[in-house]
Amino acid sequence: MSEGNETNTAAPITRNGIIIDDTFAEAFGMSGTGIIITADTAKWARQSAVTMTGFGTSVIGCGAECGIDYEVAADKTPDGRPGVRVLIFGFAPNMVEDQLKNRVGQCVLTSPGSACFNGLESSTRISLSGGPRFFGDGWQTARKLGGVRYWRVPVMDGEFVIEDKAGVTTEAVGGGNFLVIGKDRAGVLQTCERAVEAIADVADVITPFPGGVVRSGSKVGSKYGAPASTNQAFCPVLRGAVDSELGPDDKCVLEIVIDGLTSQAVGEAMRAGLKAALEAGPQHGVTRISAGNYGGNLGQHHYHLKDYLP
Amino acid sequence: MSALKLKLRAAPPRRIDLAQLVPGKLAGLSVAEIEKLVVAQGADKLVVGDCFAVSGEAGDTIHFEGGSDKFESVGAENAGGLIVVDGHAGANAGRRMKSGRLDILGNAGDYLASNLRGGLIVVGGSAGAHLGGPHSGEKDGMAGGNVVVKGNTGELSGERMRRGSIIVKGSMGRDAGARMMGGTIFGEQGLSAGAGVQMRRGTLIGPTLYPASATFVDCGTHELLILKIMAAYWAKTLEDLAPPPMPAAPRRLMGDMASLGKGEILLTAG
Repeated sequence: MSEGNETNTAAPITRNGIIIDDTFAEAFGMSGTGIIITADTAKWARQSAVTMTGFGTSVIGCGAECGIDYEVAADKTPDGRPGVRVLIFGFAPNMVEDQLKNRVGQCVLTSPGSACFNGLESSTRISLSGGPRFFGDGWQTARKLGGVRYWRVPVMDGEFVIEDKAGVTTEAVGGGNFLVIGKDRAGVLQTCERAVEAIADVADVITPFPGGVVRSGSKVGSKYGAPASTNQAFCPVLRGAVDSELGPDDKCVLEIVIDGLTSQAVGEAMRAGLKAALEAGPQHGVTRISAGNYGGNLGQHHYHLKDYLP
Repeated sequence: MSALKLKLRAAPPRRIDLAQLVPGKLAGLSVAEIEKLVVAQGADKLVVGDCFAVSGEAGDTIHFEGGSDKFESVGAENAGGLIVVDGHAGANAGRRMKSGRLDILGNAGDYLASNLRGGLIVVGGSAGAHLGGPHSGEKDGMAGGNVVVKGNTGELSGERMRRGSIIVKGSMGRDAGARMMGGTIFGEQGLSAGAGVQMRRGTLIGPTLYPASATFVDCGTHELLILKIMAAYWAKTLEDLAPPPMPAAPRRLMGDMASLGKGEILLTAG
């Protein structure tokens, strides 16, 4: 999140009674992959996906940023069963590969009736089966069909089928964001929920934090040497003690962070999220929308809020 | 799409080697140049023009009007495009083919699709022995691609096969999948004696197997997800040539336990 947002001296931009700061979200280049998890029912496909994307909010602390992109209809999956597309982001392809190995091995392989397939076409590929197939202890077998290799791993409810490789892109973007600021904590959260629901309709993006919403926006560094710490400029309870970014009536700031497989997808998600938040209106106590940045010198991707307004 | 037509003038007096008559090797050649290509060496050398009336132009498609069991290596090492034989083909048809499609409307001889690497071969009639198999001294058999035979096949289909699919609509000769190491053989009318003998890995599918080998062990009937994936792949790749739907839970025999034992025979009639 932001550290020293640019000072706004121009006339404020407003939409539906809400002020939009003339600032930008600063995001970073990342590597990302997509996989399709299927199961006998949509419930169990989603259960497996929820489990494997757990503890996947921040790449710094979790090793990856993960989330469910969308549900896949049975007639669109390789095995004709209901599925869920999951996205995983990391700093580099090998980092994403390591995360796949652990998360698929512990959370998809173990889930009743599950199977796991590539969910991103790309010329660059990483191992998807590299860890889980060895669970077969020598009983695993491969089947190559038209250039795609599948592994069959015997398990207690039949066979776990997993595709050998997954596509990966280094054109992904992590850290698209905007801040919802207001005078009513419950109302700000409701507004964020609407924004997250709108973003969920955009393909190739996830909002990796709990329910898509972050309440602990951070700045870089810490007096204790940690890589990140609370961003006091946006903490309402410190308003009188620090160089605050908040107004006298602001009681709550929540952030929505967006990761996407492309910069375009992140932009579309920013647009969808902002539209939903602004349409919710000031009646929920939302007074202002801002964005997190680091002065523009760290992240390669800048999303100026004014360019994504309805 | 341009087509080259080769109309058979008369039944060839002896075997003729057609390996060079594939789209990739004829690209850029004129009809006159094609007519001079040698198809049988020796004192009574034969060139294309002796055997065929050539018309059209070299392109993506080669159409043999007429066929013979003396057509040797038709479509061999083809790397793209369509080859159609309006009749029978002899030995080694489609050998080492990499991609593209070979349609033989009649029967095919021994070693059809030997060492196949990719692409699709469809035989309207029956095929001889060693379908997809290796020549003497070669380590591996078929390593990719798909073969569909609408009639019957001879012995040792899929010998030492590594990858790809062989689908036989008629009956299969004995020892199908012998020493197989991967891939799939689907005998729609059933499998014969010796099926899967010495196989290490791979899958044989058929409604029945008679007689079953003592070195295959019964693992019961199971729902196998990979069969759904295979069926979807065949439906997409082979369209109306795809095998019929399989039952949800075929009987699984594992073997050959006299070898590595990680192959399987799936019996769809239970």
